[in-house]
Amino acid sequence: MSIPEHDRDDVLLRRAAKGDDDAFTALYRRHQAALYRFALRMTGNAWAAEEVVQDVFMTLMREPKKYDAGRGLVGAFLFGITRNRVMKHLERLPREVPLEESNGNGVHPQEAAVNRFTPAHWAEQQERSERVRAAVLDLPAEFREAIVLCELEELSYEEAAQLSGCPIGTIRSRLHRGRALLMAKLEILRDTPRRVSATT
Amino acid sequence: MKCEEFEAIGLERSGLRMSEVDAALRDAAAEHAARCPSCAALQESWQETRLALQALRETTRDAHTAQRVEMRLRHEFGMRHRSRRARAIAIFAAWTLATAAVLFAGVSWWNWRLTQTQGGATSAGNTVKPNAPTPAVSPSDASDEATLVADNQGGDFTLLPGSLPQEVDDSAIVRVGMQRGALSALGLPVNEERVSDWIQVDLLVGQDGLPKAVRLPE
Repeated sequence: MSIPEHDRDDVLLRRAAKGDDDAFTALYRRHQAALYRFALRMTGNAWAAEEVVQDVFMTLMREPKKYDAGRGLVGAFLFGITRNRVMKHLERLPREVPLEESNGNGVHPQEAAVNRFTPAHWAEQQERSERVRAAVLDLPAEFREAIVLCELEELSYEEAAQLSGCPIGTIRSRLHRGRALLMAKLEILRDTPRRVSATT
Repeated sequence: MKCEEFEAIGLERSGLRMSEVDAALRDAAAEHAARCPSCAALQESWQETRLALQALRETTRDAHTAQRVEMRLRHEFGMRHRSRRARAIAIFAAWTLATAAVLFAGVSWWNWRLTQTQGGATSAGNTVKPNAPTPAVSPSDASDEATLVADNQGGDFTLLPGSLPQEVDDSAIVRVGMQRGALSALGLPVNEERVSDWIQVDLLVGQDGLPKAVRLPE
């Protein structure tokens, strides 16, 4: 099903640039969750992720003409800004505390998943996700980005490369290295190192 | 297949990207894992890691920004565009005022010019005969006055000696009573026998206050 002309991102952006509040809100609602998830998974901090998303849309509000339809979709444009903001944030604060707080709505990020599983399953998943969250946040930014995009966002190499602005080969190697580091960290966390090559 | 190759291929998760890998390579990777305990352990380790990643993905799958972010952004959007609109209105009002001022000035100038033109026409109505012959009145010739009077029957003025036709454009007409002898002071010939007579004379007075032409009303 195709999106009606008046609901297309670029049309909404044009209307927003002219002061259409509804168009801006529609654009925000359409993209905020994906951008927030990426920022949250990269920073591990709900507050920082929120700031990043807010900053992205403020930029869009201030400089809507920065978007060039010839260079891609509005979503990719927004993701590019988000990525830059996240990277800047990570440069300032190399490592954030693990995600433990509510997401600002008073809703814990895990809350949505709670109702779908049994308590035992949820507890096990919680423990596992806590471990992996700590390990992911401990990765260097470029490897973390590859893991977040390819493993958490489930994008293809091509999509991840496009969003990261680097060749597919780079994404592959970053992902490979990121996986190795991740496995090593998780094994260290479990105190059961299995393969030395993963840490080298 | 070597262990390094296995690391590059064998760790692909099933699904989207696995389909990208050549089926033969996939089979080779599985075969290698069956033969190499180290790679089998690596694969197992990755499977566990992948499960953990899935769990992490689940916990953040429905994450979204707080409502307050949307409210803040909408507020900022409203402020920004309201002020822009206000600025546009102010600019429009300024231009409207400026245009109105220019129009007013134009209309005023046009009216003034029209008035001036009509005034000029009125002045021009007091036609002067620049080439009218100066009455040649001799003391012994009483008909000279008749000549002057005859000139004035048409309502025309006779230029005084030394006056130029251009000087009478914006002149005013002044009617004065004077003795006939005073005409000689204006350079006109006067019959000496009647110098003490009182007569009515229309003088065309120039902008410098001096009489430029004269007429004897009937």
